[in-house]
This record gives sequence, C-alpha cells and structure tokens, in this order.
Amino acid sequence: MIRKIFFAFALLFPSLAWAHAFLDHAQPAVGSDITDPPAQVKGWFTQKLEPVFSTIQVFDSSGKEVDLKDSHLDSSDQKLLIVSLPALPPGEYKVSWSVVSVDTHHTHGDFKFTLKPKP
Amino acid sequence: MDKVRLLMSAASFCVAASICAIASAHGFVGDRFFPPTIATDDPFAVDELSLPEVSFFTNSGQDGAPNSSKVDTGWEFDKEIFPHFAIGISDDYVSQKGDQGSTSAYGWDNLELSAKQELWHNDEHEAIVSVGLVTDIGGTGSPSTANRYTTWTPNFYFGKGFGDLPDSLDALKPLAITGVLGQAIPSDRDVPQSFQWGLALEYSLPYLEQQVKDIGIPAPFKNMIPLVEFPMSTQDTQTGAGYLTGTINPGVLWETDYCELGAEAMIPINRASGAHVGGVVQIWVFIDDIFPNVFGHAIFGGGSE
Repeated sequence: MIRKIFFAFALLFPSLAWAHAFLDHAQPAVGSDITDPPAQVKGWFTQKLEPVFSTIQVFDSSGKEVDLKDSHLDSSDQKLLIVSLPALPPGEYKVSWSVVSVDTHHTHGDFKFTLKPKP
Repeated sequence: MDKVRLLMSAASFCVAASICAIASAHGFVGDRFFPPTIATDDPFAVDELSLPEVSFFTNSGQDGAPNSSKVDTGWEFDKEIFPHFAIGISDDYVSQKGDQGSTSAYGWDNLELSAKQELWHNDEHEAIVSVGLVTDIGGTGSPSTANRYTTWTPNFYFGKGFGDLPDSLDALKPLAITGVLGQAIPSDRDVPQSFQWGLALEYSLPYLEQQVKDIGIPAPFKNMIPLVEFPMSTQDTQTGAGYLTGTINPGVLWETDYCELGAEAMIPINRASGAHVGGVVQIWVFIDDIFPNVFGHAIFGGGSE
C-alpha cells in the first residue's frame, strides 16, 4: 500500500521545484553590535528572488526609514538583496525584508543591529 | 477491504494532487513560521501532506493481560478549500502484536475526516485561533483494529509565538506554543466521552538565527526546531473523576526546502498510558513548494499565504 502511494507520488513530482525564501544570513549580522557604520545592508536568502517584489529597508529607533531607498538584487547573485545606507549615527536599527521567491511564495521578516560609538 | 481502501487512498491522493489548486504546508503568522507538529494538530488550515508517519509503542496490558506492541503507519492530506478553511483525510495501518506472541491484529484504522476554519490571527503578536471538527468514521476500518462506532471531536486550536517579548528577553523570542482542546463524542453511548487536549512547546532555531541573533549555528542544526509535545486524554468516568492518559514527547523537527522531518520519543505519563517509551517519526511534505502552481492557495476565493 505505502509503496504504491510512494509510486503515485513519484509520478507526480515535477522535474523542477522551488521553495519559500528565508534569510540565510545578513551583513551586519542579525542581532549584532558593530562599531563601523555599514555602507550597505546585505541579506543572503535561501532561494532566488523576484527583483520587482523583493525589498529590504532600514529604520532607526524612531521608526524613520534611513536607507537610500535603492533596494536591489545583486547583479551576479539573485539570492542577495542589498540596500545602501548614508553615514549612520550610533543607535539601534531595524532591518525589514519582504521577498518573493521565484515560485511566487512571499515571506518577510525583520531583525535588529546596533551601531555603537567607537571607543 | 484492504483493496477498497487502497483504491480510495490512491484515488483521493491523485485527484487532490492533480485537480486542486490550493493550500500551503506552511503556517505563517507575521514573521513566525509554525511548523506542522507530530502528535498534536496545529491551528493552520493549509495544504499539508504527511507521508508517512510511523509510530511504535507498547501498550500496557489491562487486567493481567500481556503488553502489546503496536506499530502505526499513517498518512494525512489537507486541502484549503476557501481562504482559511481546509478539509482533510487521514488513516493509519495498524500492526499490533502481543508481547508473548499470543495475539496479533493487522488492518486499517477508521478513515478520519476533518474540517478546520482559522477564525483570527494577529501578525504583530504571532497569534492564531481556529476551530474544527474531526470525525472518525466507524466501520470504515478493519474489524480487528478499528472501532465500529463513529467519534466526533469538535476542536479549538490556538498558536502563539513569543517574538513580541521585550528585547531584554531576546533569548525567549524563538519560543512558541500551539495547542488543541476537544471533546471526543462517540456515537456508541456505552463508550465514555473523553476530553482530548494537547500542547506543543517549540524553540525555533531558524527564528533565533533569522530574527533575533545570528549566533553562528551551523547547518543542519540552524534549521531545526526542538520541541516537546503533550498529547493527553482525560476520559470521563461514571464517578465523574477524570482518567488521564497521555505521553510526553520530546523531539526535534528539521526543516528542509521541501519537507519537514520529525522524530519524537513517546514517554507514557503513567502505567495506563503505556508500558515503555515509544517513538514516532514523520515526514511532512511541503507540497506548495513542490507543486507551487497547484498548491498554496484556496480552490475558491484566492490564496491565504
């Protein structure tokens, strides 16, 4: 019985498959404390992204968007989402990402990093 | 009977997989992904496929009878029909053998049909509430392994993630809890009703790494969710006192791109619940990722990603 169900399932498998995109890692790292102001925030995802529907934004502690609003995919890596930053003062920042993988599944999330004054 | 069931199972699976256009194996509320759990049902009305689930357990013998070893091999398929409303079908093949080889029973358990409606969710607080009805259809299983009576169980489901905790409690943000409460009502009045309740307490390492703090957990561990489940049953008695049975199930879920692999121990809470520690393994197939054009949205009324 189980073998027959597996067989039916195997017949229905497509030759290609995709999945939801989740954040694999970021720079600055999720929850990190840094002292050098970053010029960009980069997020590496687990799947290739649709550029039109994938964005990444950075907000300060008052909720004001502080990035340069140029969120884009890396030209050579469709899993890497980038946004540029001006010279940021020390403080806590929230990064919010919203992405659509190439199979059209939508995921989103956010994380914080803290820019500390240089000693 | 087995041939009939084989045809029904294969037909229902193939028809559902080829015709329907809906549901997600993924339960999201806000930034939180609630994984499908093994022993207790989650609150999401989404497309799900469990194939297979295999559990092994030793039941305690009653009134001096020998213990019996039981192996269940089951499957479950759920399909979102309308946004936030899903129906499901499941079954188990039961192999039961007396410890002294005295008695054996093999066959299908009753077919189980379910319906679930998500009532409310709050993205900010990662919370969800659902209701549902599970019907174990009497007489559809093998006479030696299944009840002749039907049992209806109206259920209340809930889920809550703790990502809204203050930053001072960052380490607790990956925690989440899901639960189900239901009253099992048999059609045979000689069979007592029982209060079925279960909890699943999860600590999501993916949530920790992606939302709270990247502490550098290497793969595959960063995609794992340790959890403890508590599937319990309080059976009504003639004296009015509850008769509690259940297991405590510590285990782990491993999330991959296309499926979730889960394994749990089953520790009986008392002698009436079992004679030895058992175990269960399960594969949840993320059918919306494997068949993105077919699954991941309701058949009628659009999707509910």
